[in-house]
Amino acid sequence: MSVAKPLPHDAAPLHVTGQARYVDDIPTPANTLHLAFGTSAHARASITALDLAAVRAAPGVIAVLTADDLPAANDVSPSAHDEPLLAEGEVYYIGQPIFLVVATSHLAARKAARLATVTYAEKPALLTIDDAMAANSRFEDGPREYTRGDLAAGWAQAATTVEGSIELGGQEHFYLEGQAALALPQEGGDMVVHSSTQHPTEIQHKVAEALGVPMNAVRVEIRRMGGGFGGKESQGNALACACAVVARLTGRPAKMRYDRDDDMMITGKRHDFRIDYRAGVDAQGKLVAVEFDQLCRCGWAQDLSLPVADRAMLHADNAYFIPAVRITSHRLKTHTQSATAYRGFGGPQGMVGIERVMDHLAAELGCDPLVLRQKNFYASGGRYLEQENEQVAPSTAGVEEDLTSRGAVATGEPDKVVAVPVGAQTTPYGQAVVDSVAHELVAALCEKADYAGRRAAVERWNAENAVLKRGLALTPVKFGISFTLTHLNQAGALVHVYQDGSIHMNHGGTEMGQGLFQKVAQVAASRFGVPLERVKITATDTGKVPNTSATAASSGSDLNGMAVAAACDEIKARIAAFLAEVHQADPAEVRFEGDAVLVGADVIPWEKAVAEAYVGRVSLSATGFYKTPSISWDRIKGEGRPFFYFAYGAALTEVVVDTLTGENRMLRVDILHDAGTSLNPALDIGQVEGGFIQGAGWLTTEELVWDNTGRLTTHAPSTYKIPACSDRPPVFNVALWPNANREPTIYRSKAVGEPPFMLGISALMALSDACAACGPHYPALEAPATAEHVLEAIGRARAGESG
Amino acid sequence: MYDFDFEKPSTIDEAVAALSSEGAQALGGGQTLIPTLKQRLNMPEKLVSLTGIAEMKGVSSDGGTMKIGGGTTHGTVAKEAKGSFAGLAKLASLIGDPAVRNRGTIGGSLANNDPAACYPSACMATGATIRTNSREIAADDFFDGLFTTALEEGEIIVGVDFPVPEASDYQKFEQPASRFPLVGVFVAKHGDRVGVAVTGAGEDGVFRWTEAEEALAGNFSADAVSGLSHSADGLISDLHGTAEYRAHLIGVLTKRAVAAAS
Repeated sequence: MSVAKPLPHDAAPLHVTGQARYVDDIPTPANTLHLAFGTSAHARASITALDLAAVRAAPGVIAVLTADDLPAANDVSPSAHDEPLLAEGEVYYIGQPIFLVVATSHLAARKAARLATVTYAEKPALLTIDDAMAANSRFEDGPREYTRGDLAAGWAQAATTVEGSIELGGQEHFYLEGQAALALPQEGGDMVVHSSTQHPTEIQHKVAEALGVPMNAVRVEIRRMGGGFGGKESQGNALACACAVVARLTGRPAKMRYDRDDDMMITGKRHDFRIDYRAGVDAQGKLVAVEFDQLCRCGWAQDLSLPVADRAMLHADNAYFIPAVRITSHRLKTHTQSATAYRGFGGPQGMVGIERVMDHLAAELGCDPLVLRQKNFYASGGRYLEQENEQVAPSTAGVEEDLTSRGAVATGEPDKVVAVPVGAQTTPYGQAVVDSVAHELVAALCEKADYAGRRAAVERWNAENAVLKRGLALTPVKFGISFTLTHLNQAGALVHVYQDGSIHMNHGGTEMGQGLFQKVAQVAASRFGVPLERVKITATDTGKVPNTSATAASSGSDLNGMAVAAACDEIKARIAAFLAEVHQADPAEVRFEGDAVLVGADVIPWEKAVAEAYVGRVSLSATGFYKTPSISWDRIKGEGRPFFYFAYGAALTEVVVDTLTGENRMLRVDILHDAGTSLNPALDIGQVEGGFIQGAGWLTTEELVWDNTGRLTTHAPSTYKIPACSDRPPVFNVALWPNANREPTIYRSKAVGEPPFMLGISALMALSDACAACGPHYPALEAPATAEHVLEAIGRARAGESG
Repeated sequence: MYDFDFEKPSTIDEAVAALSSEGAQALGGGQTLIPTLKQRLNMPEKLVSLTGIAEMKGVSSDGGTMKIGGGTTHGTVAKEAKGSFAGLAKLASLIGDPAVRNRGTIGGSLANNDPAACYPSACMATGATIRTNSREIAADDFFDGLFTTALEEGEIIVGVDFPVPEASDYQKFEQPASRFPLVGVFVAKHGDRVGVAVTGAGEDGVFRWTEAEEALAGNFSADAVSGLSHSADGLISDLHGTAEYRAHLIGVLTKRAVAAAS
């Protein structure tokens, strides 16, 4: 079987030889037009005059479009229809598209876009969390609040309390491949769009709206992206719609890609947060009451901010049982880029909140933060090592809203009420935690990485060294897997077996470098019992598999792996029935293995079996469908079982800080991560490594800075620092921790896209630990922990000390 | 890039003549000017390349003076100064990346006077003399605010004469994304005279920290400056750091430079 093998990424040879084709590499027809946006120079203003004469007269310009020129809908929002493709008289952030230049080349379009004379009547702009709170500028009518337990009783039991606040910066996705789209007009008004998107169905939907045609007139294709990280879930809509509209109006192909600076100025980023907290533990060090106020800066349009902020609330507990808790979430509307999906989708921000609380409480108690963490882990569900490798996937069983968007509103009744096992600990939103392995996994990591010995060594080092201080932190991750919008937890696949035995595999997931296609191909090969080479991986295409959810929420392998398995099993069943009849055998005993079909005593080579089935007039093509069972969620009440299961992990990070300058680096990182029974350990470890580094980057060097007019001043790699190879810790031990998923996922694997991102929190907490070694006070380190922020935290730790 | 004429003279006299016309601009290694032209932020009518002038290249020693041709690349300075002038060699070796160091020139850097350039601090700290086609200018009189120098129209830097210090060091705190100095401090000791010059931090560009120079004059040790702190007044506050942070770094880097040099 090819599942569980550490095979390389299917496109690795193409990546390294430059043959891998991205949207921008697709050869374009000779008459292709190129597009660029003219954008707003003010954060909040009315446009009183728009003089585009110089733009129209510029070399190579074919046309210039404003909102008035659009043939149908002027909206690229994935949720609240509040995001015009082109501004309609009002602008809401610096970088907002106002007009669209259509030219004979990319460069001509960009140059011309700068020639407009736009007259603005400026209005007061709300830029910060405080601005928005003061103006009560928010999405939804008021804050969301989830509460559980008796807070007053909790506070009465508290022996030690802390109170504080942490700022968490946003994060630029910095996908290596920028946003891109190419629209090819077809006969009869149909449109084919190549889009660098994690959500082809959303592109199809928005393009259909923009053209005023039904979705069946639009086909969207994407073979691969050069990174997505959530930045291509909704942010590609503008480019795809712009290209489609121009292709419709001119009858010529149209292509658009953002230059990196434009990309960073126009597109949304991770939400920045401020989290105010108050927390108490009893005399035994058990959490008794925690209150969070999560202030979330959403930017100018709703986009996916509501589910992002929801997920921040849903991860405010991380791996800890909190008997009495209040989580209040303010979704603040500001005149900045519209913050969007980013790996973890709010979960990381929520999780930093509780990890900060644990760190602060431990400082107050004067104990090792790890001890406090371990005391408060959810009760263990026990490791689950039995494997049921051949579980059968469930097989197949229908506006204005973009129902496939995470910004959509839940409709209809939940499938069923999910019962909570008696005695189980529950999350603040009432989901039973029955699969926790935090205790076991953290104990294993402590032993493997010698936590106790290294803690003692760090203390010795810090006692002996005045300038360089070391810090150590071990933080856990418990991340909920499933889209919180329950109906998105479905997927489709299409599998063909050709008469020569070759297999064509297609599903609704998109490849963005994470290795989804390889993992799902391994599933297909395993189902048919054939070598992986027989399976052709093909581009995601809305014409093959419709109504797909975004490849997001870490769900790609879980959902599409199951759908492909269902399609394969359908074809297998037909072949088995046919061959059993021919060979006078029981269909239930026909087996597919070793590149052959075993029927009774006969071993029929795969190609021969397929040829026989074809000649026997058996349909060798099938769709597959999967929907995640057992989930149900009421986001207003904050109750239910939003997640099918949780993925776990833990990271131990050691850092050193220069107390004179605040400079710092990671010295060693040890990670154990729960990917269930991994479909492909090589790819999963790659995700863990990359996730950790990206998470650590978010919390250390990646700093977005807006000036006081609302202009993003960090819009290129010269000013915005993402981690490079040289920023990796010199010792970086990453291992998967075998723990079969107790839920019947595909081959008992677990989702691995987002959870490891939050392992990076250990880097922030290790830095906090090093700062705390400088003085008696809690350092209250802000994120990102740039050198300057670290130095400030050291100053707080030392405050009032003489000398 | 806008259209321009191009000349590549082989002598200083020819270069001066070529630069005498209206709208002419000198081109050194082009590591700053070419990107500026690409962004259409500059529109010279004529570029006069100085890279073909043999007499403006190379490093030589004359008694206690290191004479560096204006057209000498950072890479060459790093190599040639290594034995005798450690601080300057270190400074040159840390500029940009290998491509920048193999094209960019000392004369070009000084003429541009970027507030975050490294070389001006070495000139100020050592009391270097900037030689042009028509005169000699003391470093203290040369740098005149952001991107501004004492150079007249058409005047070119043919060389820089550095009094070689007994001891010197350059400490650069790199902004992590661009690797330009957030603050850079050059310390040079010539007998009783100590120069301390700071780049990257001043709102008016490079400057000398005279208080530290005085403290170090009688006692060239890190202890001599440990009680000093630089004021944040007049320092840059920007997206990379506050004036207060830069002021703090000036103190730390000065001590480090003294410790490394002594």
